Amino acid sequence: MTFDEVSMEHGKSFIFALQELKNLRPQLYSAADYCEKSYLNSDKKPMVLDNMKDYVVRALVNAVDHLGTVAYKLSDILEKQTFDVSTMDLKVSTLNQRLLTWHMYTDKEGLRQQQLLAFIPRHHKHYILPNPVNKKVHFIPHRKIGARQNSFQTRTRLHSSGTPISKTLSWHLASETKSTLKKQTSRTSKNTKDSKFYKKISGVFHLLDSEGSTRMKTSAAQPHLTNGVPTSGAATQTMGATGRDALKHSKPLTTYGSFDDRNGREAVQVHTRSKSVLSSFFVKQTAAKLKAGSVL
Amino acid sequence: MARAGGITNAVNVGIAVQADWENREFISHISLNVRRLFDFLVQFEATTKSKLASLNEKLDVLERRLELLEVQVGNASANPSLFAT
Repeated sequence: MTFDEVSMEHGKSFIFALQELKNLRPQLYSAADYCEKSYLNSDKKPMVLDNMKDYVVRALVNAVDHLGTVAYKLSDILEKQTFDVSTMDLKVSTLNQRLLTWHMYTDKEGLRQQQLLAFIPRHHKHYILPNPVNKKVHFIPHRKIGARQNSFQTRTRLHSSGTPISKTLSWHLASETKSTLKKQTSRTSKNTKDSKFYKKISGVFHLLDSEGSTRMKTSAAQPHLTNGVPTSGAATQTMGATGRDALKHSKPLTTYGSFDDRNGREAVQVHTRSKSVLSSFFVKQTAAKLKAGSVL
Repeated sequence: MARAGGITNAVNVGIAVQADWENREFISHISLNVRRLFDFLVQFEATTKSKLASLNEKLDVLERRLELLEVQVGNASANPSLFAT
């Protein structure tokens, strides 16, 4: 109530001052007319002039005073109104801040509720690829069978399995199974020793096979050279050649003899090789005899 | 006697001239002050107009903000479950 009363009083005073200023205008006009008439009609003009001057000065001062009062009051009212508007602006800002805080709180509560309700399932790694698991299960007996069979077959299988992309994935899974198998074997010492022994034997077997194949090739190449010699040659040349053949043939016999102690299969192979060598020797001797008779 | 009349005439003329100068000075003084008053009024008008314009702008902004707040509060009050949470 006090604030409103004060503002109303200020408003009223401003209106009153403005009204006085408005009323001053006709007074000035009437004074001007009176002075003009008195100066024209009077005989004592200097005296009338002096009086008129004084009156004009006072009238102007009064007018300026009224103008100043009105201007001051108007400025005062504007300042108060501006202050009120600023205060109201601050209050509105406060309300806006409160409302924003409320919105933030409601958003956080909503998110919290959604987080509590939502359930995100977690899948294990082995569930992601169901097909390789089936291949993995099927691939294990193939590897076991491959280990028992010859190495050549295992090599072909590896080559065949390497080409497609899906098989490469299965190969990786099989390698994982191998690693698991190795870990299982590492637990027991006996199994590891046996596996190492078998690996060594298989390695030796490979070496023996390779050496045998090379020697067979060399022995097969020599008869061609003997056959290539012309029959018109001297007897000394033929005798020298036969001696060389005997020396060469003696070496594999000694090497084959050492294998008999290890394995029965290798002994069987050695016997077969020795028979063939002996038969070739006899054939060569008969040929040499025939050649010697023809020379004579 | 003619000389005495001439002298009096000269004195009268001098007095008249002096009075005329005084009157002219008064008039110029009044005119200058009236011009100052006019300048003051013009400046006061410009100042008052700018103040009123800024006040009007502030009031417009305030009105818009109040309208927005009213709408937001209305939406908030329309969902009492949110207040309950």
